[in-house]
Amino acid sequence: MIELKNISITLNDNVILDDVTLSIEMGMNTIILGPSGAGKSSILKIILGLWKPDNGEIIFEGKNVCKMTDDEILQLRKKVGIVFQGNALFDSLTVAENILYFLPDKKKLSENEPKYKIEELLSFVNLSGTENLYPEELSGGMKKRVAIARALAFNPQVILFDEPTTGLDPINTESVLELIEKLKQNGTTSVIVTHILDDAIEVGDNFIVINEGKIVEAGSLEKILRSKNPFVKEFFKRFIEENHNPFIRISKEVNK
Amino acid sequence: MTRFQKMIFGLQEFSLLIKDIFAHFGSVKDNWTETIQEMYLIGTKSFFLIFLGGLFTGIILAIETGHQLETFGATAWIAKTVSLGMVRELGPVITGLLLAARTGAKNTSELGAMQLSEQIDALRAFGASPVEKLVIPRTIAALVMFLPLTLIADIVGILGGMLVSNQTFHSDISVFWNTAVTSLKMKDLFVGFLKPIFFGFFIATISCYFGLTTKGGTTGLGKNTINAVVYSSALILVIDFIFTKVVWELL
Repeated sequence: MIELKNISITLNDNVILDDVTLSIEMGMNTIILGPSGAGKSSILKIILGLWKPDNGEIIFEGKNVCKMTDDEILQLRKKVGIVFQGNALFDSLTVAENILYFLPDKKKLSENEPKYKIEELLSFVNLSGTENLYPEELSGGMKKRVAIARALAFNPQVILFDEPTTGLDPINTESVLELIEKLKQNGTTSVIVTHILDDAIEVGDNFIVINEGKIVEAGSLEKILRSKNPFVKEFFKRFIEENHNPFIRISKEVNK
Repeated sequence: MTRFQKMIFGLQEFSLLIKDIFAHFGSVKDNWTETIQEMYLIGTKSFFLIFLGGLFTGIILAIETGHQLETFGATAWIAKTVSLGMVRELGPVITGLLLAARTGAKNTSELGAMQLSEQIDALRAFGASPVEKLVIPRTIAALVMFLPLTLIADIVGILGGMLVSNQTFHSDISVFWNTAVTSLKMKDLFVGFLKPIFFGFFIATISCYFGLTTKGGTTGLGKNTINAVVYSSALILVIDFIFTKVVWELL
């Protein structure tokens, strides 16, 4: 379990997170929902140790991430992968080089091992044959899948997704969501930051709703939908309305 | 945060970056490919710019001093003036200023774009150090390449001055060359070749610092690129003054 206890962080006099406490169960897909600028992505950066909170602690495998040494942080980052919102692929490197760049202990691998590893990862994300392409030659959805393949190179226990489907067309969105489900079946824990309700509901097991740096609701979808919190009610309004609309509900069921 | 506090904070961050560079200098052996690539981009690709800069500086120096010395019938002094001027001052400073613009802008815009597109965060997230992967190769490339580039500017400048002096003031080429070479003492060469090492170090580190601290989208990137060039250029002039006034007197 990953636990965040009383996390607060302020950047340039702006409160980013205010006394945030949450827990992420292993082997499940946890969704962090909220509007833009609510502090969702900050949670991911804090979990990875990229940002240090002003107060509070992050517990991963019984250890406080804030008090970890540089070496311990490096070990943590081999267990926790991340897929950035903009993918963060290196423009000057090919798909294979982007994946290989972070492959741990490259020197210890035999001659053909990196090649097989790249083939295996690209096959997992349905991008076989794209090894020698550059990021600029890929579509948005393909870039996202390369970013996922890169995050998987370490065989991490946890993958953090920052807005994985934002800006993607429905087909690419579906393929990314399928990959997240596939990862769950393989036992990988996913933490998904998003503001897209449909996608969140499709893959989510647990939900955390955040607004203006504060957790406003957390739990299962049923618990969230029954929430009396005005912000949560407003945020889920469209989803609830659509599911009460027989045409939309039938259309969704037919599509499934 | 006030402007003064921001400046102090920036200086503190820059000092920490320099500390990090020294602490991880040995990591260069794991990043040879990047370092060689940077040497090519900073050094080889700057050759033509430095060649032109050095050549025209030497030519202008010879013409300007030649006209003044001609009135005293002392055109024989052109060689000594050009030689000492190029090796001690103008060669290193012109090379430094041109490279501050070219290399400084390149480093800041590259690293700044990487920062904005979360590539720097990606490096850190996957357990790699941006200082080891990006800053140290650029710093070492600058330290290694600035010296030969300055030497090229010096030689080309003296040759340019020699040709102009020959054509305009009818100086003998071999006499000019002999005077230019024999006027140079070890102290001149030492100071002239020590400067580019300091210039290279500060241009690389300042430009990388501004690149890594870029925020605020394309506007922020443009602002930081300008800052990198301005601060590097200003520091070159300050370091040059320190060398000319303090180091020269100490030697």
